[in-house]
Amino acid sequence: MSERMDQQVALARLAAAIERAAADLGLEEEPARFVVALEDGADREAGA
Amino acid sequence: MTDWTIDGLAAAIRERKASTVEVTTECLERIGRLDRRLRAFITVDAEGALASARALDADAAAGRWRGALHGVPLAYKDLCHIRGLPTSCGTKTAEYFTAEHDATAVSRLRAAGAITLGKLNMTELALGPFGDNAHHGHADNPWRAGHLTGGSSSGSGVAVAAALALGALGTDTGGSIRLPAACCGIVGLKPTYGRVSRAGVMPLSWSNDHVGPMARTVRDAARLLQVIAGRDPRDGTSSHRAVPDYAARIDEGVSGLRVAVPENYFFHGLDDEMTAGVRAAIRLLETLGARVMELCVPDPEVMSDVCNVIARCESAAVHTRLVRERPEEIQPVVRARLELGFRIPAHDYLQALRLRARLARAFIRDVFAETDVLVAPVVPEPAPPRAHATEGDTSEIAARQGRFSRLTRPFNGLGLPALAVPCGYSRQGLPLAFQIVGRPFDEATVLRAGHAYEQSAGWHRRRPALD
Repeated sequence: MSERMDQQVALARLAAAIERAAADLGLEEEPARFVVALEDGADREAGA
Repeated sequence: MTDWTIDGLAAAIRERKASTVEVTTECLERIGRLDRRLRAFITVDAEGALASARALDADAAAGRWRGALHGVPLAYKDLCHIRGLPTSCGTKTAEYFTAEHDATAVSRLRAAGAITLGKLNMTELALGPFGDNAHHGHADNPWRAGHLTGGSSSGSGVAVAAALALGALGTDTGGSIRLPAACCGIVGLKPTYGRVSRAGVMPLSWSNDHVGPMARTVRDAARLLQVIAGRDPRDGTSSHRAVPDYAARIDEGVSGLRVAVPENYFFHGLDDEMTAGVRAAIRLLETLGARVMELCVPDPEVMSDVCNVIARCESAAVHTRLVRERPEEIQPVVRARLELGFRIPAHDYLQALRLRARLARAFIRDVFAETDVLVAPVVPEPAPPRAHATEGDTSEIAARQGRFSRLTRPFNGLGLPALAVPCGYSRQGLPLAFQIVGRPFDEATVLRAGHAYEQSAGWHRRRPALD
């Protein structure tokens, strides 16, 4: 298989994986929530 | 030299039982004698290191102590900007990366009294898990010649394992601290995302990059983390969260600690010796009083794909000029990984960033509601022969790379602290390792568990036969 074909296969696989996982993303979910998720996770521990 | 730890040397210098010049000279002598084979260093700054050592000895004689690392010789992955030394980032270009200020992590270590021995070998642009580098010579595994070191912080793993330096900095975007630590039989810590400043360090993927310590013992890694952790105004992603005293509870053991072992994903397709080594480590933790339980974790494969999409897009953005203007200078496998990033739609990149937040929240909730740490293997097998990284076509090598980093990459996407600790040796004499993963910003518990295991197992006392 050519390098170009390999890349197309890899791209298609990744795109499909993201589309599957993102199917039910809510409108309110945005990238900055990642840092909030970490901070919230740490806070839960502190309160435990 | 091979018996010093950072903790022990710092104490010996303070008690005037060792001199900084003597120890630095011995490191430089070892580098001169062993590095022709090991290829840990890209740049050795013998003159600068000795000048610093003399100044530090003069300070010590006058009773002036710079800090917790007074007189400790360290070395840094060659993507940390340090004024006066070139930063190749493992590329063919000697001065590929510059920054306005020295890397904050390096500045903090120097301010604490560390000596800079030089800059360490790495996978080109930190893009690859094996540690091979055709431009600067392939780093060689100190435990078995002709075997891979793990990467991308290959030189950091080798330099510490071979006692060319007492500790090092690495960076970890998909496993690049933990993989070489595991392959070289040392300790490597990827801290929580935001715990250590990345200012002055070549970015590969802003969303996944972590700077962290590599050392011979967990206590040494804790000591380095203590110095480099904390808010840095030069890195907007660095956390304002207070830095705890990592040494304060490191000796408290694991009695009652809830340790989760993942039932899914992490033990699939593993080499038999690696499985046995990691399972034995888990049993020892249980013997030491930990409460071990099996747990099905949220599918790490999804986080791995998310992490991959983000890393490919961001690395393509960072290195656009190199790829567009001088593609012939980049090793074929590295170039192929970069080029992939140009072809991922912006929509997929943004969806991956959104997904990451949700997946992190779900993982933290599902795993750490019931447990304190998660333990898992770092690599699927002991360090493979070099041909694993250099023979075959680009797609074959890329597939091997994907398999080799499949156990570390999810924790970059998740941003959680993850500590690689040695847990034995294969019949071929190659290191085995496991990783301890904790809640966000809970490096203290991860280090405490790692230290308890290490002190009981004793693998950290073994040295490669190099002398």
